[in-house]
Amino acid sequence: MDLTLVGQGLLSGVLFGGVYSLMAVGLTLIFGVMRVVNFAHGDMMVWGMYLAWMLATRAGIDPYVGFPVCAAVLFTLGWAVQRGLVHRIVDAPHEMQILLMLGVALVLENAALVAFGPDPQRVRSPLTASTLWLGPLFVDVGRLVTFGVALALTGALWVFLGHTDLGRRIRAASDNPYGALVIGTDVGRVYAIAFGIGAACVGAAGALVSPILPFQPAGGLSLSVASFNIVIIGGMGSLLGAFVGGLLVSVAESLGAVFLAPSMKELVSFSLLIVILLLRPAGLFGRRAA
Amino acid sequence: MTVPRVAALVVVLALAALPAVLSSYAVTVFIFIFFYAYLGQAWNLLGGYAGQLSAGHAAFVGLGAYTAAMLSMTLGLTPWVGMFVGGALAAALGALIAYLGFRFGLRGFYFVLLTVAFAEIGRIVALNTDAVGGALGLYITFTGNPRQFQFQDNRAYYYVALVMMLAATALVAALERRRFGEYLKAIREDENACEALGVDTFRYKLLAMVLSSFLTGVGGTFYAYYLFSLQPNAVFGIPLSVEIMIRPIVGGAGTALGPVLGSFILSPLGELSRVYLSQGAWSGLHLIVYGVLLIVVVLFFPQGAYPTLLKLGGSMSRSSPKPPHRI
Amino acid sequence: MTGRRPSSPVSRRTVLRGAAAGAAVLGFPLPLRAQAPVIKIGAVHPVTGPLAEPGQACRLGATMAVEAVNAAGGIKAMGGTKLELIVGDTQTKPDVGRTEAERVINQGAQILMGSFDSGSTAAMVPVAQQRRVPFLVDIAAADPITANVAKAVKEGQQKVQYVYRNFPTGSSFGARAVRYFTEIFAESGVAPKRVVLMYCNDLFGQNAAKGFQAGYAAAKPAWEIVDVIPWPEPPQDLSTEVSRAKAARPDIIAPITRPASAQLLLPELRKQRVEVMGIVGPGSPGLYEAGQLAVLKDDLEYVMSAVPWANFKNPRTQKVAEDYFKRSGGKTFDTNSGYSYDGIFVIADALERAKSADADTVADAIKKTHYTAGLMQYAGPVIFNELGDNPNAVTTMIQILGQKPVAVWPKEAAVQKLVFPRPKR
Repeated sequence: MDLTLVGQGLLSGVLFGGVYSLMAVGLTLIFGVMRVVNFAHGDMMVWGMYLAWMLATRAGIDPYVGFPVCAAVLFTLGWAVQRGLVHRIVDAPHEMQILLMLGVALVLENAALVAFGPDPQRVRSPLTASTLWLGPLFVDVGRLVTFGVALALTGALWVFLGHTDLGRRIRAASDNPYGALVIGTDVGRVYAIAFGIGAACVGAAGALVSPILPFQPAGGLSLSVASFNIVIIGGMGSLLGAFVGGLLVSVAESLGAVFLAPSMKELVSFSLLIVILLLRPAGLFGRRAA
Repeated sequence: MTVPRVAALVVVLALAALPAVLSSYAVTVFIFIFFYAYLGQAWNLLGGYAGQLSAGHAAFVGLGAYTAAMLSMTLGLTPWVGMFVGGALAAALGALIAYLGFRFGLRGFYFVLLTVAFAEIGRIVALNTDAVGGALGLYITFTGNPRQFQFQDNRAYYYVALVMMLAATALVAALERRRFGEYLKAIREDENACEALGVDTFRYKLLAMVLSSFLTGVGGTFYAYYLFSLQPNAVFGIPLSVEIMIRPIVGGAGTALGPVLGSFILSPLGELSRVYLSQGAWSGLHLIVYGVLLIVVVLFFPQGAYPTLLKLGGSMSRSSPKPPHRI
Repeated sequence: MTGRRPSSPVSRRTVLRGAAAGAAVLGFPLPLRAQAPVIKIGAVHPVTGPLAEPGQACRLGATMAVEAVNAAGGIKAMGGTKLELIVGDTQTKPDVGRTEAERVINQGAQILMGSFDSGSTAAMVPVAQQRRVPFLVDIAAADPITANVAKAVKEGQQKVQYVYRNFPTGSSFGARAVRYFTEIFAESGVAPKRVVLMYCNDLFGQNAAKGFQAGYAAAKPAWEIVDVIPWPEPPQDLSTEVSRAKAARPDIIAPITRPASAQLLLPELRKQRVEVMGIVGPGSPGLYEAGQLAVLKDDLEYVMSAVPWANFKNPRTQKVAEDYFKRSGGKTFDTNSGYSYDGIFVIADALERAKSADADTVADAIKKTHYTAGLMQYAGPVIFNELGDNPNAVTTMIQILGQKPVAVWPKEAAVQKLVFPRPKR
């Protein structure tokens, strides 16, 4: 067995895991707080990518610099979606919620199609053109930076949720909405902010991967499915779970590509998903759903 | 005969008479209305009545379709028999998924994901298995020979699809009134309470899934012999699962007429929005309309069209369906 | 970038047309076989959905061709009867493809053309055979589309073959690509030994890869395919696949891509410093389009691909390509727009010989086609064999030189001299 290949597979897997983690963090937050399954997740991310593309091509702003703008725009979108749409059906059966977000996904995907056309795009950034070499193994600088930002963002979110007033209120509202109401929390507002933050995360993720992944309007669906995979494996509602899940899935897929036929690498992640669902549906770090 | 029964009979007779006056294009539109209503009705058993949402029903369509097609192409077995073999295999897969899911206590969203995972695995396996055509898929020769479940006249397909839809609806309506249907509805409302009362929820949910997947698998054969090609991405894919789910949900999950009504609403809507709004630079606009419609229905008619219509009509029907509780 | 200037979505004409369609839907079929002053052709392509880009190119190609035919006087043998295009959108879904075929026929289409993806095309075949409407497949590579119809006619299950295809079949891509590889290596006086085949594992990619490998097994060339690496399409990451390719010490990388995967693959090859004599594709999209060049720039330079291509030595082609460039907002006149364009002309030529719009007469005229004025690169006149395919529809090896795709092989098609091996960077 070619050890270099395995080593490279591992390294690439870990680095790309940063991308996956970033994708998953926003999703897990939204589900963890209000048990809403955001089926429009992938399409929101695609919009994050297109926003970054617009910034790069119209204003010359590199996505590694401009991602907070994308995050802010997506925050507003997420907040509006929650306030205007999701809030109304927060007590409705699951199917309704799924359908609603599917409708949002359809609208987002095709709005992108009308606005930007169907061709795949990619953002050029000087960072992604460079590589670092560690002996026979190479490190993609763009992915390294994304990995670092993912780590930083996840850490920042953790601090926010654990040590700020607003963060604590969000956690309270997620653990026990009625209790939170009793002590005077505006649960609706909290939910809207949480959704906004979740969307902002995914917007930042989109911006940060726009130089790495080619994107097109139809790509949202596969991004959504990949994100669900990660979040389930890592544990719904757990930030650490999203982060570790992202790494795990990425490494598993990467090693799968080394040892099996690369076209079967998705098989690895779906099989992993089934195993986790059956043996430990809470995922590696999640709490059991109430 | 009660008023609803007479009305139903009139509608059925009208539908039977329609092909005489419709263009072939309109007949095709109706065929898809009936076909998707049939698939939605099969889904309804599990997702509507038993309340176990599945977003992976395309797996059964795919399995049924490929089975019937392969049996016909390699053994010359007529699809009229092949469809039941396909249905049986689909039922076996459904039993497996149900066994795993319910034995391990998966509910709600977790069960949804399990179904999606199986459908995706099915897709990837089909994509990579050369024996069933791999990514190229299977192409069925059009002969128009009824013994091969093909017809030279589009209208023959119309009647097949109509019968399928009516039969499935009649089956569901009959089950609804029996103990089986009552148990399913009770499980949907509050599974824990049912278990506490000693109902074998596992058995009923499993049965619902087996029946649902069998019917869906049979439907797969119709798909194969109306569209003449099977590609893994189309026939195992999530978009097909979505098409299957949407109709009963919009029309009224857990009601016998829900999937039918849902199909009669959504298919023409999709048709109209594609025809009028997919010109040139605005291609994609029609799908935006589709999405907005979905949102509107969910927000303002969450129980689905049928129960809403019943309420509006001042219903006096026996069982006005209650909205299922969150699981 | 693509300039998109949408025109008003709902014009009065649309409403009127819609009303007429509505009346027709409700069941008053329009008279189809009367000698109308216009002959309607239904052009059905995937203009929305994942294949929207090539689908829209096909539609524009067909539209321009119809205008050209009409401007030149229409079908002269029928007193100058003009052509009219009725367009449909398959959304890349087979059930929609079938419905659209029925719809355009209901609106008076007497001939069908389409539809790019093999699934929708296969769904339209029964419509053509059931309703007796000649169907010229302008683009779709799956062999069974025509072969199955030919078989049914031969076995007596169907009376007439209405489906013909003017496009290289999937199986022919591979054999020809292998030939080109060998010829190009010989021409350049180098002998690369190790070829790594990398491909997108979807319908097109798998089919093309199998065809290439089959052609390779049959031809037994001096070079060797040392590794075969598929990836799921669309991929999110190809770093492991490229590492694997590098580990095989290739002289040549042979990629079969889609636009999205090409955008990942080529920079990755550069980043991992995979040193090769050249990147030579057996034939796929993603390696030459204007949109791809804008994104990939230098990474595409010197890349070759054996694709169906227009004959740019023909001055008519140049003119049409310029028009197309303007009307499409900067796109190249390529496989998709080109074959749809030629498709209309082949239909027009058949109508000239049929002198009528009767289905069986037209089908027969198509079968007997011997058309020499095509804009695409053919190995001879447009003819149809016993399966209904055009054996002279072939691929051309193109290369990106100076950030432009140009034909470089075979010699009679070459517009520029090929550059191989590629210069070291």
